Amino acid sequence: MSATTVSAKEGHKPPHQLLSKEDCLEIFKQLFLARYFDVRLIKEKKRGRLKGTLYSSHNQEAVIVGSLYGLESTDWISPIHRDMPGFFLKDAKFRWRDENRIGMSIKEVCSQVWGRSDSPGRARDNWSHIGRRSANIIHSTSMLAGTIPVAAGVAYADRMKGGNAVVVTYNGEGSTAQGVFHEAINYAAVHKLPVVTIIENNQWAYGTPTHLEYSLEDFARRADGYGIPGLVADGQDVFDVYDKVMEAVSFSRAGNGPSIVECKTFRAYGHGDHDDDRAAKYRPTQGVEEGRKRDPIAICRAKLLDWGYLSKEEAGLYMAEGKGSAQTTNEDFPPEVVEYLNEGIEFALASPVPPAEEGGKWVFKEIS
Amino acid sequence: MSATVTPDTAKATKKNFLNALKEALTEEMERNPMMIIQGEDVGLLGGAFGVTEGLQEQFGTHRVVDMPISEAAIIGSAVGMALNGMTVVCEMQFIDFISCGFDQIVNNMATYHYRTAGEVNMPIVVRGPAGGYSGGALYHSQMNEAWFANSPGLQIVCPSTPSDAKGLLKAAIRSGNPTIFYEVKNLYRDSKIAEDLPEGDYLVPLGKAAIRRPGKDLTYVTYGQNVYHCLQAAETLAGQGIEAEVIDLRTLVPLDEATILESIKRTNRLVVVNEAPMTCGFAGEVVARMSDLAFEYLDAPPVRVTRLDTPVPWVEPLERYVLPSVDDIVNAGLRVAKF
Repeated sequence: MSATTVSAKEGHKPPHQLLSKEDCLEIFKQLFLARYFDVRLIKEKKRGRLKGTLYSSHNQEAVIVGSLYGLESTDWISPIHRDMPGFFLKDAKFRWRDENRIGMSIKEVCSQVWGRSDSPGRARDNWSHIGRRSANIIHSTSMLAGTIPVAAGVAYADRMKGGNAVVVTYNGEGSTAQGVFHEAINYAAVHKLPVVTIIENNQWAYGTPTHLEYSLEDFARRADGYGIPGLVADGQDVFDVYDKVMEAVSFSRAGNGPSIVECKTFRAYGHGDHDDDRAAKYRPTQGVEEGRKRDPIAICRAKLLDWGYLSKEEAGLYMAEGKGSAQTTNEDFPPEVVEYLNEGIEFALASPVPPAEEGGKWVFKEIS
Repeated sequence: MSATVTPDTAKATKKNFLNALKEALTEEMERNPMMIIQGEDVGLLGGAFGVTEGLQEQFGTHRVVDMPISEAAIIGSAVGMALNGMTVVCEMQFIDFISCGFDQIVNNMATYHYRTAGEVNMPIVVRGPAGGYSGGALYHSQMNEAWFANSPGLQIVCPSTPSDAKGLLKAAIRSGNPTIFYEVKNLYRDSKIAEDLPEGDYLVPLGKAAIRRPGKDLTYVTYGQNVYHCLQAAETLAGQGIEAEVIDLRTLVPLDEATILESIKRTNRLVVVNEAPMTCGFAGEVVARMSDLAFEYLDAPPVRVTRLDTPVPWVEPLERYVLPSVDDIVNAGLRVAKF
C-alpha cells in the first residue's frame, strides 16, 4: 500500500462515505469544540484567570478530530502539546460526558491546564503533558518524537495480551528530524507493530520553516524507506484526514504493521501564545494569510451543505472560522460546546492546588 | 551471602557470575509470562557475552527479542510495554552504549512514576557489561553510574558476587522501579569468585550494603570490581598492622547510609573507591553525605580513589595509569590511617 495505490484502488470507497449524517454533524460539532477550547483558553489568559502557555491548535482541528473519530475505544493515542483537544475528544463520539468512555473528560483536562489536584498527574508536569493509562493515552514529554518508541511498546504489549489495538501517535513535522523518529518507526516496521505515525505538518517548527527541517516534498517517500505505507492527507479537510487515518488504522489492525500519515496543515498563530507577536515577525504576512484561508470549519460546513446534511439556515448559525480569539464570541459556537467548556473550567477552578509537599513524592514506587 | 530467604544449601551448585545472571533471568521469565528480554543480539546469538544464551529457545522469539541497533528503541519501547502492563529487561551490549538511549531513560522512564503521581510503575531493568581493567578502550570500559545517580527515579545496582548478581537482579526486576544494573564483565567468567548458589527463589534486598571484611582502623567503601582491589589492599595493610573494613555498597540508589555510618563510628576513617572519574562521581557523593552525617566521628579527611578525569585509554600501561590500582588504594588507606 502506498499513497497512490490506496486512492487508486479499484472500487475503493472512501471510509467517510460510510459515515451517517449524525456522525458528520458530530464531527462538525467536534471541530467547533476543539476551536472553542483554544479561543476560550486564550480569553481566560487575557482575563488573568490562567497561567502557562497554550500551543494553539487553531486551524489544525481537522487533524485531531478526523484522526480520532474512527478509532476504537481500546485504541491508544499519544497527542502532543499542540493536540490538547485530542485528550478529551478520544472516544467522545456522541458521549462527551460519559464517564465510562476510554478517554479524558473536559474536567480532567481543564484541571491539568489550571494546575489542580484533579488532573490525571496531579499537575506535576506542565499543562500540555497529560496522559492517563486507563484512558489509553500515552503521556508526552517535551522531547519531540520521544513517544513513538513508547507507542510501539504499548502496541507490543497489547499484542502480547491478545488485543487488537492500534496506537496513533502525533508529531509535528519538525520532530521528523529527530533520530528517535527513525529508530522507533524502523523498529515498529521490523516487528509489524500497529503504530500509525501522524505528522501534523503545519509548516513551522517554532521559528523554523520546513525547508530547514527536511528535504522532502512529502513524507510518503520517507515511509518507502521503511517499507511501510505513507499517506498524505489534506489536513484542512476533516473527511480526508478521516479517510487516510482509517486506511492506515485498518492496515495496522489487520496485522500489516505501521504507517505514516502526513496531514498538511498550517499553524495559524505563534508556536505558543507567548510567541504570537514574534511569529508575526519571522513569518511572512502573506504566507500566514494564505495559510489561514482554508479554515477546517468552513471546509467541513461546505461539504455538509453540499451533502444536504445542513440547511442553509443551519449552516449559518455559528460562524467561528477566520476569527482569532479576540474576534470570537460565545455566539459563534454551538451552545453545548460553550457549556461543556464551562463545566470543565468551573470544575478546575474548584479543584484545589496540590499541597506543596507533593513535589517530593512519587519519585519511586515504595518497595515493601 | 545476605539472602532474605535462607538458601537450601543441600541443592547448591557452584555458579559463576554470568550463570548466576542467567539463572535469575530464567527464573523471572518462568515466574512472569508478561516479562520479556530485549536487546541487540540477545536471541539468536544469546548475547555478546552469552548472558541470555539458550533463553530464546526456551521462551520464544516474542519474549527474547533481537532488537535493531537502537538503544532509544530498546528502552523507549520498554517504557511503552511497562505502561501497558509488562516487565522488561533491556540488555545494553556494553553499558557504554546506554548513552544512545539517554533521553528515553532520564526524561521518560525515570520520570514516569513521578509525572503520573504514582499511577504508572516502570518495571524495567536496563542491564549490561561494564567496567575497565580489560583493554576495552574508551567505549567498552565505562562506569557511567553517576549520570543516572543524578537523575531522580532510577535505582542503580552494581553487584560484585554471583549470589548478589542473581539476588539483586531478581529484586530489581520485581521492584517495579526502573533500574540501571551494572555487571562487571571482568567478573562474568572469573572462576575464583564462583559460588554455591541456592537453587530456589531468593532475593537480595536493594539498598543494603555488605561488609566484605571487618576492620577497626579505616573503612573502604566501594562497589563492583573495586571490591576485590580493596580486599587486596586491606590484606596488604593488615601486614602493616592496619585493619581495614571493606563495604560493598551493592546498590548506589537507594544508598545504605546506615551501614557506612556505623562503620565510620567504629573506624573513624573513610576511603571511597570507584573506577569512574572523580568529578561529580559517586565517590564524591558518599564523601559528601558522610562529611555531613559523620563529621564528629571522622579523625581524618575522607579520601576518594577514582579514575583520573580522563576517558579510559586502550593499551594496558595507559589504562592502568588512569584507573585506581591496589597501590593507590593502599596509599589512600595509609594516608587516612596516619593522618
